[in-house]
Amino acid sequence: MAVTETPPETVSAASETAPSAPRPQPTGLAAVLGSGDHKVIGRLYLASGLLFGTFVLVLGALFSDEAIAPKTLDVFTRDTVFQFFTLYRVGTVFLLALPLVIGIALAVVPLQVGARTVAFPRAAAASYWTWLTGAGLLLASYAMNGGPGGGRASGVDLWIVAMAVLTLSVLVAAISLATTVLALRAPGLTIARTPFYAWSVLVAAILWLVTLPVLFGLLVVMYVDHRHGGTSIGANAGLYARITWLLRNPQIYVVAIPVLGFAADVLTTTARARVTLRPAVLGGIGAFGVLSFGAFLATNDADAVKTPLYIGMSLLALLPILAVLAGAADTFRKGSFHLTAGFAYAVSALLALLLGVAAGALGSIPGLDVTGTIYDIGVSHAIVLAAVIGSIGGVHWWATKVLRQPAKEAPGLLAPVLLLLGTAAVVIPDLISGLAGDKGELAPDYTGGIKGLNVVVLIGVVVLVLGIVTALAALLPALSAADDVAADPWTGSTLEWLAPSPPPLGNFTADLPVVTSAEPLIDLREEA
Amino acid sequence: MAADATFALPPAAPPARPRVLLVGTALASIGTFMAFAGLLGIYLSARSAVIHKGVAWLPKGASIPLTPGNMGFATMLLSGVTMWWAVDAVGRNDRQSAYLGLGLTIFFGLAVINATSFTYTQMHLPVRSTPGVFIYAVTGAHLAMIIAGLVFATVMTFRTLGGEYQGRDREGLTAAAVFWYATIAVSAVIWLAIYVTK
Repeated sequence: MAVTETPPETVSAASETAPSAPRPQPTGLAAVLGSGDHKVIGRLYLASGLLFGTFVLVLGALFSDEAIAPKTLDVFTRDTVFQFFTLYRVGTVFLLALPLVIGIALAVVPLQVGARTVAFPRAAAASYWTWLTGAGLLLASYAMNGGPGGGRASGVDLWIVAMAVLTLSVLVAAISLATTVLALRAPGLTIARTPFYAWSVLVAAILWLVTLPVLFGLLVVMYVDHRHGGTSIGANAGLYARITWLLRNPQIYVVAIPVLGFAADVLTTTARARVTLRPAVLGGIGAFGVLSFGAFLATNDADAVKTPLYIGMSLLALLPILAVLAGAADTFRKGSFHLTAGFAYAVSALLALLLGVAAGALGSIPGLDVTGTIYDIGVSHAIVLAAVIGSIGGVHWWATKVLRQPAKEAPGLLAPVLLLLGTAAVVIPDLISGLAGDKGELAPDYTGGIKGLNVVVLIGVVVLVLGIVTALAALLPALSAADDVAADPWTGSTLEWLAPSPPPLGNFTADLPVVTSAEPLIDLREEA
Repeated sequence: MAADATFALPPAAPPARPRVLLVGTALASIGTFMAFAGLLGIYLSARSAVIHKGVAWLPKGASIPLTPGNMGFATMLLSGVTMWWAVDAVGRNDRQSAYLGLGLTIFFGLAVINATSFTYTQMHLPVRSTPGVFIYAVTGAHLAMIIAGLVFATVMTFRTLGGEYQGRDREGLTAAAVFWYATIAVSAVIWLAIYVTK
């Protein structure tokens, strides 16, 4: 008779008689580099995203400067402009927006769902280090004259590998985040009661999981092809054309899905009332996720953007944003209004997203013929900047959980205004240029745009940089330790505000109550 | 003590909730499946474009023999049964059957790798051709998935039988089985799109 089962009481008795010595917690650099704590990993993602993002922004500023005199190349050379252009375009998603979005999600989502850790903490940590490696390889590939349009075959191969590594890192983070929401929710916290932000991260993670593997598969084919002559996918320059579906609507929307959750969470918390239109908001976020599925464009069929499916998806994508706005407005109608920096960030991020999605809807109308022009870059910029504003806003809103104490409110109120103005100044001229017939992405200098409007774009970039500096100025004081930081500075309604500020390893110091509604903290306050 | 006496074992511990590994593996399987959906979508799109020009998809002298493809796919289907057997045996704490089921699954997996390698030698298809690039990329990626599935299943079986998961709580091996079934689903699509349709 084979018995493989050990009675549970035997195990517990054995552990009682031989208690294991507590392992000393690592300190200093080891606590950062070897940590599986989701807050540390989130902070690493955020810091690295800001670092690499600054580089991407500088590149964007140089392109804006170059575009003021579009007929001549003053900053870039004829040999390198295409490489810098592709680095900039890919960098906006993989080096700027995604690390910021993943960073704040990793730091906040486990707290929001009442989990003591993120699912697969070592995988989450591995995703960061893989992303960092991929980002380094991406820059190295360009440094060795690789990337699309590069003159060195090994550099082009390295670019493909770097893109695959970056994609893989995002997928690992997506699995970790989605599993946290699906499997580690606190008792009683059903999916219908899940906070908006955690729900939006779940939707985003699932969309990453069903679309980015298509990019991964494409990169596998690209690698095999390029290693053997590059006759099928296209020569070096052709590689970029094969991944542009990733940088245009609807696929680019997947980067900014969490913006909807962030805005819904912050706006409804600020109103300090229960959300009655919760199903509409949750459904809206889910619908936006479905409408963001753009992997069907990966076949590189130019006619795909003329199909009713594409046009319908682009037009319908506006509705979910309106549903979120309606849910927030209804909550404000019943609650009260408090102007906070979080509110300003939420509104700015939502308006930037609305701008991008509305432009995407407009551009999909047959007859306007803006596909492949600078118009697409404008849409992409709006979505990426919405994700950036939302992520920085998230750090500000959850500063006591992500950092160490509340961020400064005064500069925090100014920053989102500057960021929104900068976004409008960067995006709208590109949209106008695209509608006016400028073929930006096809221009020999890859800058495009109408000369006079390009000055506005440059001013927009400067305003954006000012906005980011102001946001960082608001966040810097939150990095230093403080005593008696309030656990719930915003009179929040979701579980993360039950955790001490800053949260310890394991997040919560006491057992959580069984959740009985979507606003467990309002329940607790009412009971008290 | 009578030889036929029955011994009442303590009830198995309730399955650990939540099933994090199972959920994570299901998500990873979906992602992997989508990678192959993308690969095959690009493959079929390229194939359709070539055929539309009135050109034969496979270059002259190249062919994709169906027999090894059929054998490979049938073997994958069979491995699905043995994997199910291993999962069931672990649930019954039957080590012998679990090892046998897993051993057969690994054997079948290796047989598929062998069949695919044999197909490569018979295709006479240069990599430096559009069909070559796509077919080697798709089937090569599937071989990598098979190897990953086998390693996952082996590790999870030993961890389960080593006591990490107890009795009916066989989450680890169930997770490995989910990934293996995804591998079989992918092989079904590849078999149809590449070996049958050519």
